Amino acid sequence: MSDLQNSIAAAASGMRSQATRLRHVSENIANADTPGYRRKLVPFHEMVEAGRATGMVETGPMRLDRSDLPRVYDPSHPLADELGYHDGSNVDLVVEIADAREAQRSYEANLKMFEQARAMSASLIELLRR
Amino acid sequence: MFGKLEIFRMAQGLATHAAARQALIAQNVANADTPGYRARDLASFEEAYQTRGDGLRATRAGHGFAADAAWQPPAARDADRPGATAPNGNNVSLEIEMMQAAQVKGDHDRALAIYQKSLDILRASLGRAR
Repeated sequence: MSDLQNSIAAAASGMRSQATRLRHVSENIANADTPGYRRKLVPFHEMVEAGRATGMVETGPMRLDRSDLPRVYDPSHPLADELGYHDGSNVDLVVEIADAREAQRSYEANLKMFEQARAMSASLIELLRR
Repeated sequence: MFGKLEIFRMAQGLATHAAARQALIAQNVANADTPGYRARDLASFEEAYQTRGDGLRATRAGHGFAADAAWQPPAARDADRPGATAPNGNNVSLEIEMMQAAQVKGDHDRALAIYQKSLDILRASLGRAR
């Protein structure tokens, strides 16, 4: 039973992390046209409790993509300099969509593990009911 | 008389083994995007059942305590996943994990079905309806 509970906890941690990742992806997409916006990255690492790896996953502190911001030519923009350029954002929509797909796929895999562990413990308890 | 029926012990062992394996698979799936994570797995039940008896050893089978020891699943080990290693060092393959999860569900269902059926046979031999 405790193994099945561990399994449910691991699946839940996976879903939580993927949901956080998806949230950052949607923030990036929402800000794809914000001048000077840097894309947010979310690192994953294995959760460690009392020096031992628990097998669960958690997201680390959010980081910003330090790559160069593209220069956008738009003289009518309030932020434009004397040459008519201003900083764009370094969000690449194709990368974000690919990231979102991957997050969705991993989320579904975790959900499947969650359902399976629940079905297994339900059938275990079913033995007691007869 | 019914203290240690081998079929119940084997069914219990298989169910415990399947649950332990399910926990590891859920952890692998949760860490499918963690850089540097190595997939873990258990030895198969057949292998583990043949090499069991890691607990107390008896000089004679009649002493009993060795055979009475509850089933302990084997220790987790790094799984062999040739060709699945991503550039970030992660070698979890969701497809392989899904396949193993289906296998584990089958093992667990089988163990519970055997347990249930054996119980029904015992009840029938006592002359009670199910």
